[in-house]
Amino acid sequence: MKLNVNGNEHEVDVEPDMPLLWVLRDELNITGPKYGCGVAQCGACTVHIDGMAVRSCQMAAGDVDGDITTIEGLGTPNAMHAVQAAWVEHQVAQCGYCQSGQIMAAASFLDVNPEPTDDQIDRAMSANLCRCGTYPRIRAAIKTAAKNLSGA
Amino acid sequence: MGRIGNIARRTFLIGSAAVAGGVAFGTYAYKKPTDNPLLDHLGDGENAITPYVRIDAEGITLITPRADFGQGGYSTQAMLIAEELDVDPNTVRLDPGPPSAAYYNGAVMEEASPFPAYNTDPIAERARSFMHVPAKLLGLQITGGSSTVPDTFVKLRSAGCVARETLKQAAAQMAGVERSALKTQNGQVILPDGKTLGYVELAPLAATLDPVMDVPLRDESTWKYIRKNTTKRVDMIARCTGTFDYGIDLAFDDMVYASVRANPGIGGGVKSYDANAAQSMRGVQKIVPITSGVGVIADNTWRAMQAVNAIDITWDAPDYPASSDEIWQVLENAISDEYQDTRNRDDGDVETALADGDVLEAQYRIPFLAHAPLEPMNAIVKVSDDKCEIWTGTQIPGFVKDHAAKMTGLDADQVFVYTQPMGGSFGRRLEDTYVLQTIELAMAVKGTPVKMTWSREEDFAHDYPRCAQVSRARGKVANGQVDSLDLSIAAPSTAASWFGRIAMAPPGPDASLVAGAWDQPFAIPNYRVTGYRAPETVPVSSWRSVGASGNGFLHDCFLDELIHRAGADPLMERFRLCHHDVSRKVLETVGEMCNWNGHAIGENRGRGVAFTMAFSVPCAQVIEVTNTPDGIKIDNVWVAADVGKVVEPINLEAQIFGGVIFGLGHAMNCELTYDNHVPDQTNYHNYEGMRLYQCPQIMVKALENGAKIRGIGEPGVPPAAPALANAIFAATGQRIREMPLNKHINFV
Amino acid sequence: MNRIVKTVIFALGVMSVTPPLFAEGETDLVVTQPTTPISTERGMAAWDRIYAVASHPRCANCHVDARNIPIWTDDATGMDRVHGMHINAGESRLGAEGLMCATCHMTSTRPNTIEHAPPHAGIPWQLAPVEFLWHGQSSVNICEQMRNADRNGGRDGAGLVEHILHDVSLGGFIAWGFNPGAGREPAPGTLQEHLDDMITWTAAGMPCPND
Repeated sequence: MKLNVNGNEHEVDVEPDMPLLWVLRDELNITGPKYGCGVAQCGACTVHIDGMAVRSCQMAAGDVDGDITTIEGLGTPNAMHAVQAAWVEHQVAQCGYCQSGQIMAAASFLDVNPEPTDDQIDRAMSANLCRCGTYPRIRAAIKTAAKNLSGA
Repeated sequence: MGRIGNIARRTFLIGSAAVAGGVAFGTYAYKKPTDNPLLDHLGDGENAITPYVRIDAEGITLITPRADFGQGGYSTQAMLIAEELDVDPNTVRLDPGPPSAAYYNGAVMEEASPFPAYNTDPIAERARSFMHVPAKLLGLQITGGSSTVPDTFVKLRSAGCVARETLKQAAAQMAGVERSALKTQNGQVILPDGKTLGYVELAPLAATLDPVMDVPLRDESTWKYIRKNTTKRVDMIARCTGTFDYGIDLAFDDMVYASVRANPGIGGGVKSYDANAAQSMRGVQKIVPITSGVGVIADNTWRAMQAVNAIDITWDAPDYPASSDEIWQVLENAISDEYQDTRNRDDGDVETALADGDVLEAQYRIPFLAHAPLEPMNAIVKVSDDKCEIWTGTQIPGFVKDHAAKMTGLDADQVFVYTQPMGGSFGRRLEDTYVLQTIELAMAVKGTPVKMTWSREEDFAHDYPRCAQVSRARGKVANGQVDSLDLSIAAPSTAASWFGRIAMAPPGPDASLVAGAWDQPFAIPNYRVTGYRAPETVPVSSWRSVGASGNGFLHDCFLDELIHRAGADPLMERFRLCHHDVSRKVLETVGEMCNWNGHAIGENRGRGVAFTMAFSVPCAQVIEVTNTPDGIKIDNVWVAADVGKVVEPINLEAQIFGGVIFGLGHAMNCELTYDNHVPDQTNYHNYEGMRLYQCPQIMVKALENGAKIRGIGEPGVPPAAPALANAIFAATGQRIREMPLNKHINFV
Repeated sequence: MNRIVKTVIFALGVMSVTPPLFAEGETDLVVTQPTTPISTERGMAAWDRIYAVASHPRCANCHVDARNIPIWTDDATGMDRVHGMHINAGESRLGAEGLMCATCHMTSTRPNTIEHAPPHAGIPWQLAPVEFLWHGQSSVNICEQMRNADRNGGRDGAGLVEHILHDVSLGGFIAWGFNPGAGREPAPGTLQEHLDDMITWTAAGMPCPND
């Protein structure tokens, strides 16, 4: 089957029920999306499909019906997305393992809701689990990113 | 090899050595040189290489032997070296280096000394310094115990300083000027005429010189990185762009993928298994029996996991009690003379004081807890006839190396451990079962690297947990004050269980069993803490803040009960009881931060205070909660802690945030319960911790009154749970004596 | 869902040939139209079974009030709690305001095989419209709602039956409720029985307990 990831077409030969996460990680060596739980409890595997945040551990490869963006495609170290830049500014990451997913969730959320309230941030971001305890800085970084995005 | 000079005021030596095309600097020896990690693998013309700074044709590499599992260890170590070396830590390479006894961690053992941290008498200090010796002799290269900063603060700067001055000496010779006339900046020596000589081009000459040892470390006033609130982590951009490789992300061209299932009753074996279905599944290359389990080697991790789950395995029962009820009984039975382990605190006369009168008695329970770092356990191993290579996240690379040698039959110097950064650990990677399993798989396909990944379910089933504890508390108040406190704590020995697995169970009492309870700086007239070493049931291991994680709860909550019974103010009574000036200041500060005015702050609201001194850091927290119709909402947390000296302000705040959230999340809703020897909790759906919406505002203040520099990775954890329980009492009148608290009250 | 719709017309009565009720897909459900009048008593018995389905956690937990918060039920204890992770589907009932339901609940007709994973179905995961409130409601309340075209999406009896068939043809939520996959207790009875009950109840004139 064909998958478009970060603007590149890939032909992959996998079972249609293989989760997209493992196609990305083990077949395409795109390792920004992380395996944390396999049951959509942690959100570390979050990618975008046509801009919408999706848990790639739950998305069967055969059900993918749009273009995939991973954290690597959202922005690069030299050209970071506003959400990534805000994450760096606020020094959010501790171990960082969940942060690919946190950032992808936040970017999709801000795309739909560019001026979120504190309550809306809490609602949008509570399905991504962080074991290190970066939540205070995630909240702050989303506000900064929202400000920078709306100013852009 | 350059000669070794002695920096007399310190207990370690800095040396230099030639390496191919350059020079290396680092600590060399303790009393006599330990084995050098790379000596055995030097090519022709190479000389001894030492650990912390390597400058060769490839550039400048800073070696950061303390592992990084999210606490920022790499960044901290790089910054300490760079401060003296005059390089930009963001532009040099970092390398965790090979495992070596030369990287022994002295500070981590200090906690095992039989003196409470607030005791700085000469005898106590001497005992602590002796604790470095066994660490060195054992080559304890361990990351843990909040010890990275205390252990490396002087050592790494010294390495950077000697390296810089020796490079300057080389430049002085080359340019024919005095070394004192030279400056350094950003990896270069600046000559008096403004010309520059790069460290890389100076390295070959520097390698031939005696290392320059007569320069003192730079004065604090000149620091550019240390203590600056502009200093950010060197790896932050990579961690936020998906370009930071954890162990689980590494790949080699000819690599195969694997997953395993081992007996979830830890220690039990495999009675039989049927892998017929698995064998024929797509991508499956080999079914490999391993110790206590079965592994599948395949061409993709998901296929390996699917196949290993398709194996029908019949397990033997392990030899510990099957259910939580039975385990609680073992713990309760252990509170008896037969099992007494320590009574390091026995002030006044508890027996007489509590013989009659209005004695308050309570029983507390602390559950088993999983570490459950978000990156599941994984390793890559390649075994050949004369070499075993291991790429994995570990806090104990030296033990991994020894275990790998034993398992493969190779010599230790044929085993290479490449420590990878970790997606969290919280003590989980002080164990290495997952590495040993991967070695077994790799031995079945020699010459091919095998990447083994545990499923999250495997991770929960095999997480050597934080031990459960039972405590009986008795106490009495008199004249509006706390008069007597007698705490009996029963738990298995974490030190014996863990160290028994990775090396040999240490003899003598286990201080961690009562850490966070016996060693608190309170002057209660009749004050006794007794540790009872319960028989081991489920094998247990160290969990962020170890003994203090549970003892902080039961000690401080019961103290809070007594304070309320006395009708005293929770903060003022702790302050009155506290005899340690540094700790008193911490309590005073947290009170100022929150404008403390008592625990009662209006209907359905309340404040709790808690204090624990752990890892020599006194930490006080005040938590404010609201009792909403749907449950408890944690509104605010104020934290004051004394670390002696703040090294990285931004990271320190992050570590305290993390400690508080870790403590609160587990206190709210986490426990491992056992049925048929196996934890009922299998994934984050029933072991959730805190989520973002539950996260309170957290205000942090770090103090610097303590005499010594201290790490802050763990001390934020212990007071969080008791401060929450005490706040719930203040808001609701409900005293909860066991965790998780949501067995008794809901949270929103 | 490439299964076959069999619309069986029993020969006992005089009935017109039923045209296909839907085009999107096919099911193996059998639509058995009654050939004789259905008594109120039989209709009520059918309703009781429909209520058991509608009020079952698999169905009721997403038929929630205007707070827009889905419910989780511990099947072992029957205890309800609000959906974890602070989930709120918003006025959109799809989560569009913050976090889409579909971020975790895929749109897929593949079987639900992973225990504790978010279930998926063949249509985009969402809450039922707020006026279709079932969670925590009595038999009377749900019955009154279901037979009231102003509060059931404008459906008459035939429309309610067709709704089931249409949903099932897409692998939607009704079909899922009876086959929720690993680790979840299905709604009581079978999908076929539920269809039969709906046909019976509607044929009986949609009687409710308070009539």
